Amino acid sequence: MLVLRRKIGEVIQINDDIRIIIQDVQNEHIVRIGIEAPPEIPVHRLEIYNLIQEENKSAGSAGALNWLKGAAYDDSSKEETDES
Amino acid sequence: MTAAKKRPMKAENVSTNEAFHFPQGLAGFSDATEFGFIYEGHGDIVCLQSIDQPEAAFLITAWDEERLGPRPSLPKDLCNCIEIEEQESIMWMLVLNPFADKAWVTANLKAPIALNPKTRLGLQCIRPDPTLEIRYHWMKQPEDK
Repeated sequence: MLVLRRKIGEVIQINDDIRIIIQDVQNEHIVRIGIEAPPEIPVHRLEIYNLIQEENKSAGSAGALNWLKGAAYDDSSKEETDES
Repeated sequence: MTAAKKRPMKAENVSTNEAFHFPQGLAGFSDATEFGFIYEGHGDIVCLQSIDQPEAAFLITAWDEERLGPRPSLPKDLCNCIEIEEQESIMWMLVLNPFADKAWVTANLKAPIALNPKTRLGLQCIRPDPTLEIRYHWMKQPEDK
């Protein structure tokens, strides 16, 4: 892993089109950073991205279409189950 | 889900002409950027089938305002990504998971899908709000699967 030391306001450039700007350091532990990247580059907090990635892998499979084909789908089941 | 219903397609009929382009892919499937809709005549659920990665297929359904409240708002930079000019034009869809729970089909409220039907661009919008559920109980599992 490349490790760089940067001060507030300094920038890290990645490739031609990604910039990471150090905005602030709070309480010596929390770093606020700004990220400039093209819209097609997704930028997320790792822990949230990992959750979504795992859920997508669980939900998204070749079996989805088979499930849909085999489902005795009933519109009324949705109204009955309005809870979380 | 009206747009998907108006465009019923059979599995073998998904063509690139009808595809939606997801510039970012989907989390865990970043190489899957072209998707078609497959409608099998089951209520308001359609299959979002990757064209470039056949194993990536998702069941999706429309955001239900009556049940879930107002539709999400797409951040401006992501609006640019799917070339949307007005929030009202976004077609919001939920990714359903029929495999995670034996009793329930769950819906991912934390990462719904935003579609621009005009430009046929889409993305999965990961929302940072920690209160949003990833496995919201959407509907009971059909009995005769």
